[in-house]
Amino acid sequence: MLKKYYKDMKSGLEASYKQKPRAGTRITMELASSFIDAFREDVKVVWTSYYSFPMELLAAFGVAPFDFEIATNILPTFDPGRSVNIMNRAEEEGYSTDLCSFHRLAVGCYLLGYLPRADLLLTTSYYCDGKSKTNQALAQYYGKESINLDVPNKKNRESIDYVSSQLKSIVHKLEELTGQKLDEDRLRECIKISNRARRAYSQLAELQKVKPFPYININIINLCIFGNLLAGKEVQEQIYLDMVKESREKIESGKLTPEQYRVLWLAWYPTQPTNINEIFRKNSVSIVMGELARNFWGELDEQHSFESLALWCLKNPFVGPIGQRLSGIMQIVDEYNLDGIIHFSTDACRHSCAAQRLIGDAMGKRGVPFMVLEGDMSDKRKYSAERTQFLLENFIEVMAARK
Amino acid sequence: MRDTSKKIGYFCSLVPEEIIVAAGMQPVRVAGKTDAVSTADAYLYPNLCPYIKNVFVTALDGGTKDLDGVVFARSCDGMRRMYDTWKAYVNTEFIYMLEVPKNKDEQAIQYYASQLRDFAGSLGQAFGMKIKTEALNKAIKSTIGLRRLMQSVYDLQKKSPLPVKGSELFEAGLSAIGEDRKIALEKINNVYKRAKAIESTKGKAKKVRILISGNVMDRPDLFNIVEEAGADVPAADLCTASRYFDRRVEEGGDPYLALARAYLGAPHCSRTATPGERLAETREIVKAYSIDGVILTSLKFCDCHLHDIPYISKNLTAEGTPVLFLENDYTFSNRSQLKTRVEAFIEILNQ
Repeated sequence: MLKKYYKDMKSGLEASYKQKPRAGTRITMELASSFIDAFREDVKVVWTSYYSFPMELLAAFGVAPFDFEIATNILPTFDPGRSVNIMNRAEEEGYSTDLCSFHRLAVGCYLLGYLPRADLLLTTSYYCDGKSKTNQALAQYYGKESINLDVPNKKNRESIDYVSSQLKSIVHKLEELTGQKLDEDRLRECIKISNRARRAYSQLAELQKVKPFPYININIINLCIFGNLLAGKEVQEQIYLDMVKESREKIESGKLTPEQYRVLWLAWYPTQPTNINEIFRKNSVSIVMGELARNFWGELDEQHSFESLALWCLKNPFVGPIGQRLSGIMQIVDEYNLDGIIHFSTDACRHSCAAQRLIGDAMGKRGVPFMVLEGDMSDKRKYSAERTQFLLENFIEVMAARK
Repeated sequence: MRDTSKKIGYFCSLVPEEIIVAAGMQPVRVAGKTDAVSTADAYLYPNLCPYIKNVFVTALDGGTKDLDGVVFARSCDGMRRMYDTWKAYVNTEFIYMLEVPKNKDEQAIQYYASQLRDFAGSLGQAFGMKIKTEALNKAIKSTIGLRRLMQSVYDLQKKSPLPVKGSELFEAGLSAIGEDRKIALEKINNVYKRAKAIESTKGKAKKVRILISGNVMDRPDLFNIVEEAGADVPAADLCTASRYFDRRVEEGGDPYLALARAYLGAPHCSRTATPGERLAETREIVKAYSIDGVILTSLKFCDCHLHDIPYISKNLTAEGTPVLFLENDYTFSNRSQLKTRVEAFIEILNQ
């Protein structure tokens, strides 16, 4: 069932791209392709976290990566009702409705036989306990080992060595799986490619400071979630360069809709249909930045591949004490001329939601309006359009009062 | 002279209290002491572990003022955030985040050992002393003594009829992790002596034997409910029961490595183990204690445990061990509701 959705999604995107070649469409095409590839018989399918695992390592092996969270949670975008039915299947099995809808949906898809084969299941200890526990449960169902890249809170020599050594162990697993030794030159090349993409991305991040900026809202959130899927592949740099080019052209055209309010969006954006975009459009609100869209990592050192990939993990804003996340948010506040910050609070996202007060207090001290928008990523039973409208319009009034 | 009046609080049973004892201080596992946790919603958020919220409100209310320091563990998402929030809003002299790996292979053990050394160094530095290897070895030995004593009682509890009420043993165990060591040792020793004596007298009627398996529990409510319903609780697979006492630290060699190996080893909670490993450990307890039915319980919003429940429950049931799953809010405010469900479960087991 999912495979058909992915194929329809890809063909729709291809048709759209043919008519109007846009980098944003292309990145989603790549995403759809990755989902379809996971159903192929002739490749090794490695389940992973697109947004938190150093994908350069998988690119060096040429395996098909599959992220059960992202892949199954595309579904509410097209069919929120069916998604609820799938979640119901997981709930019937005993998965509590207090667990994240992303994970209930993934487990439901497994129980209904919608997911592809898993040759290796690896994930990361960050962002959340739910992801690694779902990975374990799915591995158990598939009769496979679940591998967890454990990334500590502290960023020091021991932590770097610990993460590096785990990455090396994962390489052994990949070697066993694929029957090929790691080609270290290939890994270095993947890292070089990743660095080039990062430089292109930095240009985009710089352009985002321009007001108005064309590449906004869900596009910017998707970019930081999906972008890393392509790390280590040439296409990633190409897409970012195309985005830079398209953005420059649009800015230079002078025809962009004026931005009344620029906001930073924290945490995740719902995959189910919502009225958020419509409210933003009516009130000229633009999400110009997501916290993961910030270039939080430095150049990777291809001569010390494992160490630099370990550092990439350790520098993630969702790793470590809240100070690491807050300093990233502050940097965005300083650089992007923001009118407000919205934290989307999906009720099972404990690690992010439990930091709302700390973020709110820090923003209060800086005088930046901050709001918590409660909702759910993909469970329509837990989303209220009316409440969202009420809360967002109130917040827009607060931002207006500060103008 | 070491200052034995200093108290260091910790929250997770994966924190080796031997290091605190070696520093000449008293380790205290921090329990929540309030029945109203709504204040926590303003600092953390509503859908968070009720143990964490309770402890945090207790701290805000001044209930942890007697602690000279607190040690957090990277045990779960909720605990990571409580660490951040505690640092911001609770005034405690020494606050430390211990990096407890989520994995338990040799790499993780070596890393954990390095972090335990760091913890010992930081604790010593904060209080102007140095933890010596001899002191740590001595603390390990004394803790082994306490644990062995409890393990002896656990062994007696494998007998049927049950020598000591599960609730009584659970409360004696709680004293070991929340009170002065000497008092705890005395309490457990008394229970042990009575268990031995009862074992020799025998003559009690056999009751349905229930395993309570879950995460953190600081009150005996569920034990009492089960016992009032006419069943026995010979085993409790909880962070505040066997998961604390069944830890086996090897003496000799590098004490930090020994601690790391023991604390990342079995028995595991769902935070460190896969659902399959948790199922295997539960099966062993079921067999060892001749268990008739399992009550799986979890604090609300505990992602680690909630994710494992369906797999464990389904498999145990398929193997012929009846299972009842009960969520709890740490204070057991839904006691009446739980009572009805437990009574029905035990009635079925008695048929």
